[in-house]
Amino acid sequence: MRVRPPKALRKSIWVFHLNTGSCNACDIEILDVLTPFMDAERFGVKLVASPRHADVALLTGPITRETLPKVVNALKAMPRPRLVLAIGACAVGGGIWHDSYSVIGGFPRLKKILEENGVIIDRVVYVPGCPARPEAIIYGLAVLIGLLKKKVKKEVKEAGKGEG
Amino acid sequence: MNQHKDLLPQRLRPLESLIQEWRWIDKGRAVMLDVKRDKLVEVARILYKEIGAFFKTCAGVDERPLWGGFAVYHIFGIDEEGLDVVIYVKIPEKDHPWVPSIVREVPAADWCELEFRDMLGIDPRGRLTQRLVLPDDWPEDVKPLRKDVPYGYRPPRAEESRPVEAGMYPSGVPVGPYHPALHEPEYFELYVEGEEVVDVRYRGFHVHRGIEKLAESPRFDYNKVTFLAERICGICGFVHSCAYVMAVERAGKVEVPERAEYIRALLLEVERLHSHLLWLGVAAHLLGYDAGFMHAWRVREKTMILAEYLTGSRKTYGMNLVGGVRKDITPEKVPKILRVLEEVAEGTKKVADMIVSVPQVRKRLEGTGVLRRGDAAALSVVGPVARASGLNRDIRKDYPYLAYKDVSFMVPVYSEGDNLSRTLVRVEEVFESVEIIKQLLDRMPPGDILNEEWDIEPGKYAVTSVEAPRGEDTHFLITGVGRPYRWRVRAPTYANIPALRPMLRGQELADAPITIASIDPCFSCTDRMLVIDVRTGKRSVLVTRPKVRVVSLG
Repeated sequence: MRVRPPKALRKSIWVFHLNTGSCNACDIEILDVLTPFMDAERFGVKLVASPRHADVALLTGPITRETLPKVVNALKAMPRPRLVLAIGACAVGGGIWHDSYSVIGGFPRLKKILEENGVIIDRVVYVPGCPARPEAIIYGLAVLIGLLKKKVKKEVKEAGKGEG
Repeated sequence: MNQHKDLLPQRLRPLESLIQEWRWIDKGRAVMLDVKRDKLVEVARILYKEIGAFFKTCAGVDERPLWGGFAVYHIFGIDEEGLDVVIYVKIPEKDHPWVPSIVREVPAADWCELEFRDMLGIDPRGRLTQRLVLPDDWPEDVKPLRKDVPYGYRPPRAEESRPVEAGMYPSGVPVGPYHPALHEPEYFELYVEGEEVVDVRYRGFHVHRGIEKLAESPRFDYNKVTFLAERICGICGFVHSCAYVMAVERAGKVEVPERAEYIRALLLEVERLHSHLLWLGVAAHLLGYDAGFMHAWRVREKTMILAEYLTGSRKTYGMNLVGGVRKDITPEKVPKILRVLEEVAEGTKKVADMIVSVPQVRKRLEGTGVLRRGDAAALSVVGPVARASGLNRDIRKDYPYLAYKDVSFMVPVYSEGDNLSRTLVRVEEVFESVEIIKQLLDRMPPGDILNEEWDIEPGKYAVTSVEAPRGEDTHFLITGVGRPYRWRVRAPTYANIPALRPMLRGQELADAPITIASIDPCFSCTDRMLVIDVRTGKRSVLVTRPKVRVVSLG
């Protein structure tokens, strides 16, 4: 059963940075979010060193084959509710590497592997961008913990139908 | 440099009797020597030890579709002449290709030999081999860079990966793959005796994404690879895309408008500003001085806003195309650029003075992580690491490219080789970069920025080197039909990681994080292809000592 993020989480979110083979661009934007110009620390966001202390995993990168077992272990170590913010085009869908031989290719595929291993992700928000902008990361985090509502609705378009 | 078109350059004369044929490639910037397999080791020895060439990289190529065999290219550079030397060795076997290993003569070739063994199955004979690049559960018989293996082929995953092999020492301190001091998944194992680090082992290549193979896949063409190259690294991506487009332009004899070369050089310097300030902040953070970290990043943010102003993107600029750049820097942008540069220079001066003058910070930087000049030269280190150890190497001066021949700047060189000198080299380079950008803006010629009329002939070669914030970035390219036939990237960290060993040995454990960080490692660049075991020395005496204990790095 999925667990709702508790209200208390809205005041102080501890984040763990999980780089799964990203090119560093999203990673430096994450650091940028925490440093004076954006200063997400004023919202109580704190970067922690261990997944065991974390409320949210900031996942970047297309999940390479080499990091996969380590990523699964790190996410397994997180306490419930297990929240993930998938940051950047690679984490969202594999990005430019989506069909390369040495990557898994994005969080949705990782989620399946996690579910096979009995690791449940309670909530995930995708932040696209290459790299994701710092403003987008802060917004994504706010949506994830329920401070803001998503602005776009889910829409499925089939190929060959509709405009275009 | 090549006045006599038909004569082998003077420096290479001692090799004349050992080579079969030779020719100029890359518009006269490089010489290609055809060498038989049995002569390879001798040629490499003379080139490296007697002629004094620098080893850049090597590349294995599957040339079966062309003439039925494999080939290996060893790339050397002679700094004083600005000349690259490519040794070309043909391997006729189709099934079990092999070449003699040159590692005994040229230690710097260690990784790249293991890399072509992993990726192409070309066996370097006469040395110890092990898997370097590919994941542990990757099947032995699948060689991703061979032309008959599809780029998207994913062999099934093994249920369990190989057990971690026991090291030579009873206790090691694991750092990684997820560690507060590292922002990328890499694994270091530090072997300690009490508080003293006695050896280090590195298992990298977690970020191997198969870039070189992707560039050969039908998804890409010459122009699209530019954007792929930019995503090798999110910090120095523009360096990679510049090195790539320059390789294509030189190999395909594409004319590039001068204004485009100025814009590229300018953006390379903007990237250096942001990268060095980023490093300064991270270094302060690793020393436990978070105020310095915050201040450095506050100043750095201005360079990010500048990059966005010039290119439309904070990172991964997307500016390069084969033949030029996509966006112009118009005159009305100049005043704002100059204003930001002033702010950055002023801010950096304050922050750097502040960080370096804190006595605790200074003590931890001074005299730690020493890399002596002799070690630095033997390991062919590059960039600020080389310059902090007394080697005056800067690709911008040694092999002038883009607009660097038109600007004057200093190359800061320190001789101490400790963490403090590496810090100071970077800080001074920030000011030099600011000056370079000002000069470029001042002298920028008018005209076009993009040449779209080009046609590239297959089978041509180019070797390009670009001075990234971390050192020399080398690309080697063989042109193909519509896209590169083979594209090999050697990032600066690849050359600098072996230097960590002499730097870390005999250190206090507490100084290890800052020492590792002092080479400004960028693993995503390094790993685009390839695990390394850096132990070579015999230190087995430690195994029996009871006082060895594990210390947590916290």
